[in-house]
Amino acid sequence: MTLSKMNRSNMSLSSRRRARKAFRAESTYHATGVAIALFFLAPFAITLLASFRHGTEARLPPLPPWPANGISLDSYRSLDTFGAGVWQHTFNSLLVSLATVALTVAVSVLAGYGFSRYRFPLKNVLFVLIIATLMIPFQSILTPLFIILARLGLNNSLFGLTLVYVTLQLPFSVFMMRNAFDAVPKEIEEAARIDGARDLKLLFRVLMPLVLPGIATVAIFAFLNAWNEFLAALVLLSSNEKYTLPVLMMAVRAGRLGAVNWGAVQAGVAVMTLPCLVVFLLLQRYYMRGLMAGAVK
Amino acid sequence: MHETGVVLTDIRKSFGSLEVIHGIDLRIAEGSFVVFVGPSGCGKSTLLRMIAGLEEVTDGEIEIKGRNVTDLDPSDRGIAMVFQSYALYPHMSVRENLAFGLKMARTETAEIEARVKAASAILKIDHLLDRRPGQLSGGQRQRVAIGRAIVRKPDVFLFDEPLSNLDAELRVSMRIEIARLHRELGNTMIYVTHDQTEAMTLADKIVVLRDGRIEQAGTPREVYENPANIFVAGFIGSPRMNLLDAVWLGNGRVRVAGSEMSVPVTGEGLQIGEKVSFGARPEHLFVTDGGAGCIPAKVDFAEYLGGTQYLYCQLADGQPLIAEYRSGPEINAGSTIALSVNDNQRRLFGADGRRLT
Repeated sequence: MTLSKMNRSNMSLSSRRRARKAFRAESTYHATGVAIALFFLAPFAITLLASFRHGTEARLPPLPPWPANGISLDSYRSLDTFGAGVWQHTFNSLLVSLATVALTVAVSVLAGYGFSRYRFPLKNVLFVLIIATLMIPFQSILTPLFIILARLGLNNSLFGLTLVYVTLQLPFSVFMMRNAFDAVPKEIEEAARIDGARDLKLLFRVLMPLVLPGIATVAIFAFLNAWNEFLAALVLLSSNEKYTLPVLMMAVRAGRLGAVNWGAVQAGVAVMTLPCLVVFLLLQRYYMRGLMAGAVK
Repeated sequence: MHETGVVLTDIRKSFGSLEVIHGIDLRIAEGSFVVFVGPSGCGKSTLLRMIAGLEEVTDGEIEIKGRNVTDLDPSDRGIAMVFQSYALYPHMSVRENLAFGLKMARTETAEIEARVKAASAILKIDHLLDRRPGQLSGGQRQRVAIGRAIVRKPDVFLFDEPLSNLDAELRVSMRIEIARLHRELGNTMIYVTHDQTEAMTLADKIVVLRDGRIEQAGTPREVYENPANIFVAGFIGSPRMNLLDAVWLGNGRVRVAGSEMSVPVTGEGLQIGEKVSFGARPEHLFVTDGGAGCIPAKVDFAEYLGGTQYLYCQLADGQPLIAEYRSGPEINAGSTIALSVNDNQRRLFGADGRRLT
């Protein structure tokens, strides 16, 4: 009797000890995670909070970083006084970025599919040539780009800028999409051909859903790069109402008559960050998902 | 059964300058089950893929049910194919997988539903219709792949090593299932495998291929009992047929490993003293007390399999030989035995590999 009791108490003791150990390990794990997350989120939080300070407060040293005298939209209002107004520039940026995403995805999906599945002369040479353009710093071709766009009558136009962004984005995107299509087993495509799906139908109904993670990646990169690009926008655009957000931000950061409106700068950073977050959060589940599970084997 | 289901006429296939299929002629009776077997790289899969239309035919003609389909698209040939890797559409449910081909052919919704229902009932996958392929086991996936073929109501089913990815137990039950399916549906089926058991058990007709040529086509029994040449003799049967160096002595007699024995061969055109190969299957060899026409052998190694035992022997002249031993006193490694084979089970092959009769 005593023996079995002792056994039981021993068991409960050891299981309690195990539970405590597990709890400690778990809390350390989560505490570390929270600390790292805070470290990365702090700059965003400080910027966002500071953008809601009062106009006068915005000129003071940034401690504490949050609004001390209540929340105000002064900074956003003063941001709107720069250039052609923040709405106009946000619209320009969105237009260029979304068009860049659409064109880049369309071209790179078709090109990636072609490079992955068709046999044609000089295929590999052509592919290496496309990849090789990644090695050319784009600043070095700005002048020729400017001249070409001028000849085409596309200088100082958002469409021209979009074409430049798509061009810059394509080598990486084609490479990415080729890999994505390479990862799709050939048998799936053959099964679809036997089922009567041909060419574009095959591409859209069967293959596209399978390369969605690749498309999401290409879209995210295209959007972020187009959204954040500054130099080409500054050089290729010349009228005030055409400028994209990064160019506006440069003007805000430069200040007026030597005085920098830090509140407006913080508000601008907040406006620029938001769409990137939205795009990433929208697409990240495709980005992460392993769609191929269960296809073969 | 008499109408011709599939006819291949002088089919050739080249990749660049390399010809891999060298002019294949084959008639497949409607409703029959034909199995292509051969070592890897023999062209059996390529041949199947040409019938499917997934591989272009370099030269020759393919007819299915009297219709020349050589240049038709895979979907217009009246075929359906089951792949080794299943090749299900991972982003569609089982139901959508089954219906996809019919949707592409713009079949009416009610008809699609009826066919999906019928096929899933035959294959007992009706409870899985709303799952994705990723949520199924290997056997279930293979059923779905077969179901996708059934709903198309094809003239010809093509199977490309469909059971190779399954474990041994499942393979046996799926094999029986496929045989049952053939009996129920009665369609022509062409099946590629390198597994002899599958070939022997399923086929009405076995086509043995090597290096892009047909070595022999016939019923399993014909191929097993009357192999046309030394390659087929060695390839069909497991363990493989013993092929021993022998010398033709004339008058229906040969010398094998120092022993003389008679063979059921007229030996027309053979010169006395000519080298030939003597063939005897392990399962046809039996242990005797010695006497005329038996071969003495030393047992190197004995493999006990329960119901049977394989004896790995060495003959007097050093040639290896495998014999199957079913009953009788235990035989251990190191002992010397005398082996014989019934007269009608002795095979002889000429130096060129052809079977001698």
